[in-house]
Amino acid sequence: MIASMTNIVKRYRAHTALDHLDLAIREGETLGLLGPNGAGKTTAIRVLTGLTGVDAGEVRLFDSDTPVTASAVKRRIGLVPQDLALYETLSARDNLSYFGRLYGVTGAALKARVGEVLDVLGLSDVAGKSPKKYSGGMKRRLNIGCAIIHKPELLILDEPTVGIDPQSRNHILDFVEEMNRQGTTVLYTSHYMEEVERVCSRVLIMDTGRVIAEGSVEELTRTSLFEETVTLEVRDPAPALAEGIGKVQGVLRCEVEGRLLTVTSTAGSQNLARILENASPYTILGASAKRPTLEDAFLALTGKKLRDGSENE
Amino acid sequence: MTAFIATFWMGFKFLWRNPVNIAILVCFPIIIILILGNALAAYISPDTDLAPAPIAVASDPDGTLGMFLQTEDISRFLDITFTNREGAEQMAADETVIAAIFEDRGDISIVRPGVGGLHTQLVLSIIDSYKQIGSAATIAAMSGKDIYALLDMEVNVRDVPLGTRIPEAMDYYAVTMLVMILLYTGMNGMDLFSKGLLSDMGNRNRLSPISKPALIGGLLAASTVTSYLQGMATFIFTGAVYGVYWGERIPLVLLTLFAFVLFSQSLCVFLVMALRNQGVVSAIAQVFFWTSTFVSNGYMKIDFGAMDKVFQYAPNAMAHTIIFGAIFGGNEMKMTVFLIALFGISAVLFVLAFLCGRRRLA
Ligand SMILES: Nc1ncnc2c1ncn2[C@@H]1O[C@H](COP(=O)(O)OP(=O)(O)OP(=O)(O)O)[C@@H](O)[C@H]1O
Ligand SMILES: [Mg+2]
Repeated sequence: MIASMTNIVKRYRAHTALDHLDLAIREGETLGLLGPNGAGKTTAIRVLTGLTGVDAGEVRLFDSDTPVTASAVKRRIGLVPQDLALYETLSARDNLSYFGRLYGVTGAALKARVGEVLDVLGLSDVAGKSPKKYSGGMKRRLNIGCAIIHKPELLILDEPTVGIDPQSRNHILDFVEEMNRQGTTVLYTSHYMEEVERVCSRVLIMDTGRVIAEGSVEELTRTSLFEETVTLEVRDPAPALAEGIGKVQGVLRCEVEGRLLTVTSTAGSQNLARILENASPYTILGASAKRPTLEDAFLALTGKKLRDGSENE
Repeated sequence: MTAFIATFWMGFKFLWRNPVNIAILVCFPIIIILILGNALAAYISPDTDLAPAPIAVASDPDGTLGMFLQTEDISRFLDITFTNREGAEQMAADETVIAAIFEDRGDISIVRPGVGGLHTQLVLSIIDSYKQIGSAATIAAMSGKDIYALLDMEVNVRDVPLGTRIPEAMDYYAVTMLVMILLYTGMNGMDLFSKGLLSDMGNRNRLSPISKPALIGGLLAASTVTSYLQGMATFIFTGAVYGVYWGERIPLVLLTLFAFVLFSQSLCVFLVMALRNQGVVSAIAQVFFWTSTFVSNGYMKIDFGAMDKVFQYAPNAMAHTIIFGAIFGGNEMKMTVFLIALFGISAVLFVLAFLCGRRRLA
């Protein structure tokens, strides 16, 4: 266990931001931490990195009793904060060099490492410019760069892709995958399902300060809580068709609306072939299957939509 | 050590690469000095056609004050009538003079009929300059009759011959300006500390293995050196362009400027650590800057009456006293006390800033 938080309670006055939170990060994994605004993701990270104290509970890092405030521990962690933390009037290179030096990287090693980070983040061409002149995506990338200049073993990213275009976002996701391949353990926080589904091997869903679901992406979406839907577009469907499909194993219901048949089954039924078999006498104009996403999972578990969670509060 | 130096360089670059900062702290004073300096020079220069100011002086024409007023540099601005107390009062009452000056055992009082115009300012400035430069000579002349006599051992009748160098408008103005600019450089400290210790950057720094002393020391060194260099720009500029006389005790002047830079940094760093809001801090700091500058009587002498006794301890006033003293001679005891006070206040403010920071960041 590279990091663990046990039974953490964190209160801000009357408000309980973390409510008996348990969270563990395994070595080498990319753990996704998913939750709506105000779920407590950032607070969990602040507790994990020692930026804020706790009211109860225990934090352990790297399987040792060395406190997170010890510089030996600090050197092994990289945090990409949710809000940009850059010296805007310094060039990207100066920003990176500064943080490198703080971590004891100097001289030729620093120069090489800065070049490497600029390269992997696609900022080499603008290395001499100050982030004031950067686009949002470039700033985000530099924000990440400052956290990895010292090659941390545990990289924590707090919503690193907020407010940027798909291209920059892809770049960042590729980068996270690459870091993980090279052995970095990653804690990845996001609102976006697609991202977590893509980069994470395991996911925790948080809401109101506690973990409400945990598992691999498949596990979470496969639980019996969830349903799969297949939508068929058929020329002149007869009522018998819906009846027949309704008898297929796993099918919960089959609704007809003009040419469209919406077939709902329990997740994991693997009955698509049988459904199509039933429809084969008809002219099938189109077919699509929708497997549950984390968004659906979240909705089912919390009754809230993931992205506008804060508005429902 | 690496981290300290890295922080210092980072802070230094951070401040100098901010164009607003450069504009405010380098160009702004130079422009002000150019405009106001030229305006002053136009008013008060040997070629000006300003008519001499009629004043009545109730003092011995052969006394220190009398001789001072009759030196060539000064007398050309004045039309002096030496008389006794009653005579001077009468002339002031009749408004045949713009000011009546009374000297009683070194105590100088001024009666100004009507509101002061440029003439009155001129007279006040001249008397002020007499108080600054004349004190040493006065003390010597009055030994045994004045409280300063008790300080005889400390008082050092300096070798600044009266009359060889009479402070000119620009000499006063430059000191006032420089001290004001240095007070303003507290904004550097505010910027750098709020960026580096508060906000998300503060978290980033706190997560790095840099030690607290290295981080705080690095930031402080960066803002102090930057501010000091900004002050030096004005120091050198006024000397070179206006021939401002910075005296023969340059090290003392520079040390005073350094103490004052520390004071302004400590004040703003303390405020920002205590209030954690740059907007509020900069508003408070601006009010303080202008108040302290105003009550400290730079070139333009303003009579605050009884409050003068209090205002002499305004930070700017203390700096003025030391610097004028270093240039033209002054009460060494007072200068030493003020210099120590400036360092002392800075130290106290830094400790308070540290305590606020620790409480808030814990
Ligand atoms: N410094 C603070 N003082 C008071 N309340 C706080 C503070 N920081 C966070 N909170 C509260 O704690 C709760 C959790 O906040 P947190 O920032 O951890 O959420 P989050 O999951 O990171 O949300 P987001 O997705 O918006 O970043 C919120 O209700 C927030 O209002
Ligand atoms: Mg957050």
